[in-house]
Amino acid sequence: MIAPLFIDGLLRDWFFGDRAYSDTSAYSDDLYMFIFWVCAFVFIGLNAFYVLCLVKFRRKPGVPQQRSSSHSTTLEITWTVLPTILLVVFFFRGFWGYLDKVVVEAQAEQLDLEAYKWGWEMTYPNGAVSLVSDRIDPGQLNEYPIFVVPEDWPVQLRMTSRDVIHSFWIPDLRQKFDVFPNRYTSYQFRMDPLEEEDRARANDAFPSGYRDHTLFCAEYCGDSHSEMAAIIRVASREDYANWVVTGGVELDKLTPVEAGAILYTVKGCAQCHSVDGSDNTGPTWRNAFGYERQFSNAPAGIVDDNYIRESILVPGAKVAEGYPNQMPSYQGKVNDFELNALIAYIRSLSDRAPTSLIDEVQGEPESTEEEPQASLNRPDTDDNT
Amino acid sequence: MTTIDSQTQGLEHEHHDHHHDEGSYLTPRGGFWATIWDWMTTVDHKKIGVMYLFAILFMFFLGGVAALMVRLELLDPVRQTAEGVVTGQMFNWYGDNVAANNNLYNRFFTLHGAIMTFMVIVPSVPASLGNFLLPIMLGAKDVAFPKLNLFSWYIYFFGSIFAVASIIGGGVDTGWTFYTPYSTTTDADHWRVVIMVLGVFVLGFSSILTGLNFIVTVHKLRAPGMGWFDMPLLVWTLYASAIIQVLATPVIGVTTLLLILERTMGIGVFDPALGGDPVLYQHFFWFYSHPVVYIMILPGMGLISDIISVHARKKIFGYKSMAFASLGITAVSFIVWGHHMFTSEGELAATVFSALTFLVAIPTAIKVFNWTATLWKGSIAVNTPMCYALSFLFLFTIGGLTGMPLGALATDLHLHDSYFVVAHFHYVMMGGTIIAFIGAIHHWWPKMFGKMYSEFWGITGCVLVFIGFNVTFFTQFLMGTRGMPRRYATYVDEYEIWHEISTYGSWILAIGLFIHAGNFFWSLVFGRQAPPNPWGGLSMEWETESPPVLHNFHHDPVATHGPYDFDDVQPPHTDPEEFPLPEPLPGGAKPH
Repeated sequence: MIAPLFIDGLLRDWFFGDRAYSDTSAYSDDLYMFIFWVCAFVFIGLNAFYVLCLVKFRRKPGVPQQRSSSHSTTLEITWTVLPTILLVVFFFRGFWGYLDKVVVEAQAEQLDLEAYKWGWEMTYPNGAVSLVSDRIDPGQLNEYPIFVVPEDWPVQLRMTSRDVIHSFWIPDLRQKFDVFPNRYTSYQFRMDPLEEEDRARANDAFPSGYRDHTLFCAEYCGDSHSEMAAIIRVASREDYANWVVTGGVELDKLTPVEAGAILYTVKGCAQCHSVDGSDNTGPTWRNAFGYERQFSNAPAGIVDDNYIRESILVPGAKVAEGYPNQMPSYQGKVNDFELNALIAYIRSLSDRAPTSLIDEVQGEPESTEEEPQASLNRPDTDDNT
Repeated sequence: MTTIDSQTQGLEHEHHDHHHDEGSYLTPRGGFWATIWDWMTTVDHKKIGVMYLFAILFMFFLGGVAALMVRLELLDPVRQTAEGVVTGQMFNWYGDNVAANNNLYNRFFTLHGAIMTFMVIVPSVPASLGNFLLPIMLGAKDVAFPKLNLFSWYIYFFGSIFAVASIIGGGVDTGWTFYTPYSTTTDADHWRVVIMVLGVFVLGFSSILTGLNFIVTVHKLRAPGMGWFDMPLLVWTLYASAIIQVLATPVIGVTTLLLILERTMGIGVFDPALGGDPVLYQHFFWFYSHPVVYIMILPGMGLISDIISVHARKKIFGYKSMAFASLGITAVSFIVWGHHMFTSEGELAATVFSALTFLVAIPTAIKVFNWTATLWKGSIAVNTPMCYALSFLFLFTIGGLTGMPLGALATDLHLHDSYFVVAHFHYVMMGGTIIAFIGAIHHWWPKMFGKMYSEFWGITGCVLVFIGFNVTFFTQFLMGTRGMPRRYATYVDEYEIWHEISTYGSWILAIGLFIHAGNFFWSLVFGRQAPPNPWGGLSMEWETESPPVLHNFHHDPVATHGPYDFDDVQPPHTDPEEFPLPEPLPGGAKPH
């Protein structure tokens, strides 16, 4: 008994890389292994038979084939009925596991998830949004938003998309569902409790520790589809509640430029617009404000406040020359405060931005040379590893 | 099936003299330009089949280059490190602009998918080998509607030109599935997507007309004495897939047309911004594109049945269950499209489609068991076609079995749209159809061109293709279960090692395929003259010369035996020393 279980465990590690982190995903891993063992048995049996035939019945000069029956009702019924029985078992086990994955538990925590090209935005029941981010691979530049969820508690996501179809996949939960524009779809799970090693990561924001999972977009959605990831952070229920209430930044306590720098990543601007002058899907924000810009569908003009406002709300009105008309409208997605903060941030990135008398008198001008990544503070989470 | 002079009617004697001095269908008639014109206007199914074959092989080359480019990007993807350095120098055509490089990758995988699906695998077996073999196997002079057949070829040609024009114009980044609303909004200011979709629309007519032609040919043009159950299984599978071609292809025609109208005129069918429904598009699309999977695989199954039977010198096991399994797959193929949408449709639909999907496995399993049993007590030749047939059994079985966790709902929610799916359908489409296709080209190459190829290089190529294929795609199963989504231009570090192995495998695969190409060219120039029946086959194409005469047979053939009666009938044009028969049954009893 021990040896097969050991091999099963080894193969699980090999197949999945990491264990399943919920009861429903553990069930589907069990099903996967069950199907695997049945299929492996059939496959090895068939191939052993081919090898046997190749050894025994390989053509020899002058030796004819042997006569044998070319049909056998018993045999044919057997190999029709046996697979059918197995298929029925596969179907029902798959169906039960599916119900466990898609049926929502009562009292589930309701979170709103919005997908867009190319990112995710989570809104918590109190209206807070996640404004922190981290890297999945330490050596790479891309930062992904962190969404905190409670351990061992049912969570339901109400998902919708701003533009095209996306798909929400947390591989550690072995579960995904598509996200559509103009309708809601649902995704539910109950994360396994934190373990000893997770508690060891305790910090100020998460005194009971936390555990991170990666989530990917699984439905092709364009240029940065492969960079449309996020981090799901499992925390204790208390830490989750405290983080949602206090962990999100209160934007109106920040200066407009600071708020704009945060909104730049949270609202997905960073996916297409660089702030360091490099080229991307959209024009860079470095030295944009105050400069003349050519448009493919309008006469040239100066990048000013009204142009920026219009480009956020009605992106197709004036399309920068050399770039695709691809940006989704943010009408209804940003409020006036956020709009002003973004405009302030874009202004701050230009050497033609007007300076304020306050800064001049107080001698602390807003630095335009400051690296944008540095201005992206991460309140309450000083847990960069 | 032997042509027996005593049975030919007096009417045929006139033909007899007339046909004896006609050359093979390849013999040039007139000068260079006259020959070109002769090929361009030919209604001979063999010439049309050969033209299809080379067009499809050219497209296979284009799609293969795109696949190698995809693997090249994934070997060392373009991305920015924390130090701001852009890595991935091999695919870095747009400098430091990572998004633009991703977009280039997206165009390459779309190119690969669209070419391989619509211009290679769908027409591969029916239009090329099917066109060449179906009438000869039935003992007919041509298909039922030869001019319509030429028309189909020109539709294929012009449809492909649309697609190539779209590629030259910069390619499209929609994915071969053209999912809305992405496909209706991307490259909004350009005509490339419309041209590509128009190409798919046009190609569909070629498929419909070829299917129609085959159905009528099978019904009306079988040689005297050939009943439905005396047909080679390749004909059965071509017939089954022709039914799907005629019934399912119009749906993709309508769907692509609606897509074009939505893009050009803004009618709101699929785009929610215009009041449409993107899931409706998925239903329409898969209502064609799932049955099309069986247009692709069924003829491959037929090829394998014939290759195994001839090279094991054994009557195919369970002939009738093979024929009915083909029709069963056809019937079920129309009601399983929803399994492409387990993550986008409702619970009831998902449950019903999951149950129906498992039904497909039953006739498929029957076929695999029948092929296996055919080998028993045979006389198995180890040559290139048989190596490919055995490769098919190995790879297609993996492809079929990995369909189980995709059909089961609980596991599909994890594996859907992951590299597991990519590996699964490559094991079925390439490990199944393309492997069968390459094996079949080797099997019928002597018949089609009258030349023998080098068996050594054929087997070498097969071994390299087999190894390369498994290295490329088996790793992708592991990436999929570990959580790698498909259609990603870059990936997190966890998957790096698997992507590297997969890319090295694709190079081995490419070398194997180039060896085959070289072998074929070598055989056309230096190859030994092929005998009429090098493998000892019993179906009618082995009765005529290699290559066949212009009207296929010198006189109208009559079927006197089944295509697989290897135990009792000496194959035509063969030496009993080389292809000996087993001892006759005592008292002349008939085997069952």
